[in-house]
Amino acid sequence: MSLLDEIEPLKAEALAALMAVSDQSSLDSAKGAYLGPQGKFTGLLKQLGTLPKEERPAVGKAINVAKGELEKALKVARDKVELGGAGPDQLVDFTAPGRCRRSGRLHPLTQVTEDIVRSFRKLGFAVADGPEVEDEYHCFDALNTPVDHPARDAQDTFYVDTPERPLLRTHTSSVQIRVMQEQQPPVRIIVPGRVYRRDTADATHNPTFHQVEGLYVDRGVTVGDLKGTVEFVFRELMGPKTQIRFRPHYFSYTEPSFEIDFANALTRKMGKDWLEIAGCGMVHPAVFEEVGYDPEEWSGWAFGFGIERIAMLRYGIHDIRLFYENDMRFLKQF
Amino acid sequence: MKVTYNWLREYVDFDWTPEELAERLTMLGVEVEGVERAGGGLEGIVVGQVLTREQHPNADRLTLCTVNDGEGERSIVCGATNFQAGDKVALALPGTEMPVPEGEKPFTIKVGKIRGERSEGMMCSGKELMLSDDAEGILILPGDAVVGQPFAEHLGRSQEDRVYDLEITPNRPDLNGVIGLAREIAALTGNPLKLPDTNFQEGTERAENLVEVRIEDASLCPRYNARVIRGVRVGPSPDWLREALDKVGVRSINNVVDVTNYVMLESGQPLHAFDLHLLAKAGGRPTVVIRQATEGEVFTTLDEQEHELGSERLLIADETKGIALAGVMGGLNTEIGEGTEDVLLECACFQPQNIRATSKALGLSTDASYRFERGADVGVTDWASRRAARLIVDVAGGELAAGVVDAWPEPAEPIEITLRHERANTLLGVELNPAESIAHLCGLGMEVVAESNESVTVRVPTWRVDLKRETDLIEEVCRLHGVDRIPATPPRGARGENEFDAIHDVLSCLRQWLAAQGLSEAQGQTLIRADEAERAESDMVSLERPLSSDMNVLRPSLLPGLLDSLKQNATHGSHDVGLFEIGRVFRAKEKSVCEGRRLAITMTGRRDPTHWEGAGREETVGMPDLLGVLEVVLSELGVHGVSRARRGKETGLFVESAALVLGKKEIGELGQLLPTLARDYELRGTVLMAELNLDLLLQCRSTGHAFKVLPQFPAIERDVAMLVPEGVTHERVFEVVRQANPEYLARTNLFDVFRGKNIPAGKKSMAYAFTYRHGERTLTDQEVNGAHEKLVVALHRELGAEIRD
Repeated sequence: MSLLDEIEPLKAEALAALMAVSDQSSLDSAKGAYLGPQGKFTGLLKQLGTLPKEERPAVGKAINVAKGELEKALKVARDKVELGGAGPDQLVDFTAPGRCRRSGRLHPLTQVTEDIVRSFRKLGFAVADGPEVEDEYHCFDALNTPVDHPARDAQDTFYVDTPERPLLRTHTSSVQIRVMQEQQPPVRIIVPGRVYRRDTADATHNPTFHQVEGLYVDRGVTVGDLKGTVEFVFRELMGPKTQIRFRPHYFSYTEPSFEIDFANALTRKMGKDWLEIAGCGMVHPAVFEEVGYDPEEWSGWAFGFGIERIAMLRYGIHDIRLFYENDMRFLKQF
Repeated sequence: MKVTYNWLREYVDFDWTPEELAERLTMLGVEVEGVERAGGGLEGIVVGQVLTREQHPNADRLTLCTVNDGEGERSIVCGATNFQAGDKVALALPGTEMPVPEGEKPFTIKVGKIRGERSEGMMCSGKELMLSDDAEGILILPGDAVVGQPFAEHLGRSQEDRVYDLEITPNRPDLNGVIGLAREIAALTGNPLKLPDTNFQEGTERAENLVEVRIEDASLCPRYNARVIRGVRVGPSPDWLREALDKVGVRSINNVVDVTNYVMLESGQPLHAFDLHLLAKAGGRPTVVIRQATEGEVFTTLDEQEHELGSERLLIADETKGIALAGVMGGLNTEIGEGTEDVLLECACFQPQNIRATSKALGLSTDASYRFERGADVGVTDWASRRAARLIVDVAGGELAAGVVDAWPEPAEPIEITLRHERANTLLGVELNPAESIAHLCGLGMEVVAESNESVTVRVPTWRVDLKRETDLIEEVCRLHGVDRIPATPPRGARGENEFDAIHDVLSCLRQWLAAQGLSEAQGQTLIRADEAERAESDMVSLERPLSSDMNVLRPSLLPGLLDSLKQNATHGSHDVGLFEIGRVFRAKEKSVCEGRRLAITMTGRRDPTHWEGAGREETVGMPDLLGVLEVVLSELGVHGVSRARRGKETGLFVESAALVLGKKEIGELGQLLPTLARDYELRGTVLMAELNLDLLLQCRSTGHAFKVLPQFPAIERDVAMLVPEGVTHERVFEVVRQANPEYLARTNLFDVFRGKNIPAGKKSMAYAFTYRHGERTLTDQEVNGAHEKLVVALHRELGAEIRD
């Protein structure tokens, strides 16, 4: 048998051996048997030198082609062995819980406040602030609330036990006075903050609670502007289908004054046509005179509402005291 | 569009400096994108003549001269020796700013005394004038130099000028010419616009006998104006013409072509000159046909590019061939050359859309197409043609054929617009004087056709293709009145303002940063129990008639409230709690009540939510966790340099605690809750708490944030592990490092603290990684070793550190 005729059968034999490889040792032995220094195929190459010169190129070429095929088969066999060994000993349980970092949440009152602030800021309002320990002047006198007014009843107001006898502000309206005394119109402010009433804590009362106050003063401000703004803000807060109703009411520092009711899917679910949500009105000329604005030149409106009330309505929270307990199970829900 | 200061002054008087002109043009709506100086220089330097030259009485190396500056004699002290009496020199007069190389500070010649003798100027060397490198002696001028003549003039330099590069908005094609710009200045100053005279002697032969014009579609070519100048001598342009073009970046070709370019720059109206004899004649005279190209018609433009045209391209043609691509570029076949004797001068108006389409399709944009695309002035055509014809005769000789062939099939009716003065006032927010408004409009070339107290109706000139309705006139009145003269009124009701507004945002961000650290926000009661409050602060504010003894004081600190919240959670089985609160606290100060903002944090229990595998999954929070939160918050707030001063003993709340100190101020505290107190509140394990004074923190913020260039060169790191006494703090190590201040040190990082096995009692092992880096090159080992060695020695000396290998 000539050398040329030996190539094909030997190649077929070697390929079969490589195909049959199942682990590292069988891979090593198959490789050694055919392609190693002592291997059969290597042996063929060695015999090449014994051939007559003119036959060498053809045989050499055939051997090289076959060798290329065998090397490819060797790589396949090697990959198979390596991959087989690297398989997982344990399987990932893709259904097991993932590893989480602890994440914190913002207080629901903060979230509602931020929503309110954001919608007012779209209208160009700036956030303002003032002290919580107030004097009677800013909280009552300047707001056209005379001494004999029921709102000034000591039953409703906390007084601080110091010689000056300041009080804890009963509404954020006191900031109106401070801002208007400091700056000339136009004014566009919103005041979120804590207020205090002497109410014993129960499901709907807490001596500490939060309000937002809005104040807008400019030339030619109208009740229509008030309604437009209130509608805009409440639709932002309570959904685009929220209906708003204004009812004439009385506040000493606004004239005319209104209470604001709203209606949406929430109120209907609660079985009510309307729910009261805020108070408002056109700033009383006496208030303007107190801060040195000319009521003939300037007009404006103010409104205020409780943040807890909005949050309770929005999330369906039944007890106001939950806001102040800071139970993680409660806080994590928002 | 480029224009020069002096060119503008040919058409209108104004007394603004070049800088003021730039400012005025910009405020008129013509933005000046660049200004370049052209010509000029050497101001203040004149040709002088040395009258006497004597030795300076007090200095061997100086001479004392009298020099004639053309107006009088000056005494000059000079250091050069290469001249004698009678020589003409370049004399810098006092006040002259001497030329200096770019970037150097100019110096000014002053009258002064040199070694006791008065010197009233300086005779200059070639180097001082930046004319040569010769600094050896002063420059001696030829004998025929005229004494007193400005030196620049003596050198033959052109007059100083400024070239403005202007951005002309697309609505104002009329400003693509110097006259259009001059008109703006005329309207603003009230000075008259001075147009050059275009009347001159015409020849006897009539133009219509020499050329005929036929427009096939007047919508594509509303007007075509042709004049003929016969007997020109084509050659180089005179200096004034070449210079004028050169300054604005237009290359000189020959006198005839240069005139067409000059008039285009002047009037904004493109013109083209053909060699009349290269047009095909029929019946003794050629006919210019303005027609659409036939599909596939091939035409070669002046730049020797061959174009295959479609039928939408507009051609200027004679009866046999195209001779110009209308509004874009002339044809090679009828180019003005040295042999040209008779010139056909085209001055036309084309439909902007068509020119734009052609220019885009052929990728051929020229000064002409640029102007036609934006809309040429159909009214200026004949004026520009006459102006060019006159200049051609001036610079190239020849004779203008009498009259003109002006094809203008459908002249448009002029537009009339009414301006209501009150409407302008309402829109602009300013009370304008109607007479002034009308003067402005007239200055811009509008004619009043009707006027009442309330309004004025004007006829719009042809060059203002942008004026279509009242609001356009209001804009004109506004521009000329000056936008800067309209007072700004505060946004009416559209903007609120309050100091606290920005603080609100910082607090919002602060909440988000804290939540990102895994803490939830708490809201505590303002009214709390006195005995609980007392643990944190003693200066409490009591209520006059509290509701109950549970709520009888205003909280002096947020910590008692958080402690209550921890208890609330523990009661319900939550022992892994992280809370923060941002709120107000109240303290009695003398007779009044002080309110302040605080941030309080508490952490207890497991660090992370429970997981079902992994080392450390049950780990609980330790002081480093709280410190980490504080570091993040302070860094986000932009408060740097807060140190932690360990307190020597227990406090009412803490078993182990530290004050947070910034400069000399205590800005807060942190610590571990007393175990006895934890037990009282039914809390398990370690409870960590911190409270910061927010008012102080907000004052100490630095909000600037500059990007640091990313390091380009590799760093080299050296680790040091050392045994130090237990009392050595990280801060102390840092201090020693800072004092040692080793070169190239970029970063110091504590990466291990170890006590126990193989470490003697009372000592601990601290390991630091020191990173060395140079901003501009790679450091060598040697350099780093040197710096590092210095540091190691300092650690040993200052801390008694034993360096471990």
